[in-house]
Amino acid sequence: MPASSHHSPPVFSRRRFLATVGALWLGAGLGIHSTPTAAFDPQRLRQSMQQQYGQAGLAILEEWFALLQQLQNQDIQTKLRGVNDFFNRHIRWVDDIQVWGEEDFWATPLEAMGKGQGDCEDYSIAKYITLKQLGVTSQYLRMIYVRARIGRSQITQAHMVLGYYSTPDAQPLVLDNIVPSITPASQRTDLDPLFSFNSDGLWAGGSSESRADPLARLSRWRSVIERMQTQGFI
Amino acid sequence: MSLIKQLWIAIIALLLLSFIGSLAISITTSRDYIEQEVRIKNEDNATALALSMSQLDKDLVTLELLIAAQFDTGYYRRITLRDTDNSVLIERAAEEYSGDVPAWFRQLVEFEVPSGIATIQDGWRQYGTLELESQHSFAYTSLWRSMLELAAWFLLAGVISLAIATVIVRGIKHPLSRVVTQAQDISARRFTTIKEPRTLELRQVTQAMNVLSANVHKMLSHESHKLDELRRHLQHDRVTGALNRDVFMGKLASQLNSEDARSTGMLVMVRVQALENLNEQLGYAATDQLLSTLVTQLGQLDNESAEPMVGRLNGSDFIFMLPLMDDVEELRIQVMAALAEVAATQPDVEVYLPTAIVPYAPHDERGTLLATLDDALAQAESLTSFEQVVVRQRKRISLYSSHAEWRNALETAILVGPELAYFPVVDAHGDIIHYECPARLLLGGEWQTAGVFIPWITRFEMEPALDLAVVKKALANLQTDLKPVGINLSAASITNTQFVNELRTLLVAHPLLADQLCFEVPATLSTHAIGSLRGLCTALRPLGCAFGIEHVGAEFTKLADLHDVGLAYLKMDSSLIHQLHASNEQQTIVRGMATLCHSLGIQVIGEGVADDEEIACLFRVGVDGATGPGVRL
Repeated sequence: MPASSHHSPPVFSRRRFLATVGALWLGAGLGIHSTPTAAFDPQRLRQSMQQQYGQAGLAILEEWFALLQQLQNQDIQTKLRGVNDFFNRHIRWVDDIQVWGEEDFWATPLEAMGKGQGDCEDYSIAKYITLKQLGVTSQYLRMIYVRARIGRSQITQAHMVLGYYSTPDAQPLVLDNIVPSITPASQRTDLDPLFSFNSDGLWAGGSSESRADPLARLSRWRSVIERMQTQGFI
Repeated sequence: MSLIKQLWIAIIALLLLSFIGSLAISITTSRDYIEQEVRIKNEDNATALALSMSQLDKDLVTLELLIAAQFDTGYYRRITLRDTDNSVLIERAAEEYSGDVPAWFRQLVEFEVPSGIATIQDGWRQYGTLELESQHSFAYTSLWRSMLELAAWFLLAGVISLAIATVIVRGIKHPLSRVVTQAQDISARRFTTIKEPRTLELRQVTQAMNVLSANVHKMLSHESHKLDELRRHLQHDRVTGALNRDVFMGKLASQLNSEDARSTGMLVMVRVQALENLNEQLGYAATDQLLSTLVTQLGQLDNESAEPMVGRLNGSDFIFMLPLMDDVEELRIQVMAALAEVAATQPDVEVYLPTAIVPYAPHDERGTLLATLDDALAQAESLTSFEQVVVRQRKRISLYSSHAEWRNALETAILVGPELAYFPVVDAHGDIIHYECPARLLLGGEWQTAGVFIPWITRFEMEPALDLAVVKKALANLQTDLKPVGINLSAASITNTQFVNELRTLLVAHPLLADQLCFEVPATLSTHAIGSLRGLCTALRPLGCAFGIEHVGAEFTKLADLHDVGLAYLKMDSSLIHQLHASNEQQTIVRGMATLCHSLGIQVIGEGVADDEEIACLFRVGVDGATGPGVRL
């Protein structure tokens, strides 16, 4: 047998090192990084809440988890009432400008729960997401832009409510924060519906994954969906 | 695979990679961008249309008008309005626009754009769903066009890159092939030197090989000079530098018997009269100086040979052999002028230098010639006039009486074609190395040897024509009798560009016979001729021709300059071979020469071998071959 030759350990030359670093940097620059998987993830929600709002926020989040647990197998009326009451009770109605320093900021449920306060669309979004989580599909739910008259005065205000349609052409049930109880739309004479939308069409081909395109963030609705994905709601 | 080929493959692979890569990235990016834009347009337009419909009366005609207006003024493929039961209320659809895009490209790109969907409100109730698809077939056309433009640009860039690459590869290839050639030369023991290339690595290799060649050259010149010193010591008179009697006589005999041009010429004998008196009057030193001057002056009359043939027969008699000279009167004047120069160096004493001049011709008897010279010299001594020069014209049978006749006769003879004599050259086992083939020309109805016609050929500068005719004849003979032959080429021929070209053409036309040819040039070569020989060797070596040098004696010191020529053999002059077995010193010289030649891969052959004793001794000292009268088959 020939004597085994001694190889010196491979010297990581400076040139090779630079080439490796360059390749990694280039790879990173070209966007070869993992995107967070979109799915309901309680653990990530807890992390996000802990990071942003600390212990107080975490307490509400745990209550919300409990609510989900409790309403899981209830009938639809119970689910609607439970969710409507939960958010009307826990979130104080204020204008966005006070909470977020912006004219019209759409908050995710986590942000709304963490702050403990929010605007009309924050209620609607939170209720929408919670009901979806409870198995109510989006074809029954629509966010409705309405014109609201406050009290008996003639003052009107732009407002948003969540509508529940048992069939597409039925009268919806209105989940609102001005009137805390759920009422059929026909009884809400103070509200004037203008336009409605839901998340259909945002997820192409039925997949729950929103397309990670940069333009998505330009739309408020898209933006809030993006943030919900990173926080772990959907 | 050769380095150049690998370079080319790398360059082409790189070009293709960048082309395909860029094209793929460009198409994917454009496709994604277009998809995204169309999707946003679908969604926005659907929402906007649904928003305005929500505000209107839900009259079907109004809605249809609204959809038609939107469809007709915009770029849509389809707009559908469905009621809540999903049945179609209104639909507008356009045909697919195909343009001039090939089908495969459409399939390759294939946009996947979801249609825009929005719901129309009627109060609190939902009225229906609006679904909208934009016409995005135009995108295929623009994408196809941009791909064609990109491909065209890459074609252009590829052509330019390849052109640049050609220049670069050529810049590498030329010096590389030079270096390879040099390495091959050195491995074949041709120690060539080349210009250093600019590429660093190649330059280092070349420098090393050039240094090797230079060292070999230095070693050779050193060794050959040492050998030459030994030879001079052995063959030359110590006082005057003239050849010893025996050596001169040997050379004279071999010249007279030789077949070549040098067997015609003049012999000049000078006697220093009353040498003893001169010794007394001038002293030994001055007398020696005088004799030395005499030898130098005589030697200067011969400007053809490398070493003039001046011999000292005894203390006072000097003999000078001048080959190729045929004009007696001219020589007489030259000799008298030279002698006057000699006498002028000692103006104080009377120096008498009686002189005899006799022409010689091939196959003259040496004894007869010397007797004639002695007789003439005696007559010269008896002359009292200042000019003590006696010329003995011998009855020479000249073939033709005038230059014009000679020229015509030679031209005709070359046209008729020469005949070749065959003299074997054998190795130590008695096997044939090749045949020496001196030319014969048909002159005056007989085949004449070179000694007869070469002086005239030289005079008329017809050497290239004759040499070419000889090569043709040799090739013709090889057709029927395939045995290796050695052909003499004159220095005048190899320096003639036209001759070299014609020779090359001739040999290229006979590739099967060319490797049976050896070309021999005489050792009396100028530096210019050595350069030409080097070029000729390089040009003809690929055809299989061998090159040798003949009559190498005193010219052996030039071997150092021949180290890069690539000679196959070297023929040693008979003066070095003559009576080899009798002289140890001579054997030392021959052995040294053989050793030096072998270090360059050159065979050594002894010329003019007279008998078996010489042959035996020759092979004993390491010589590879022998030729001459003593060689019999």
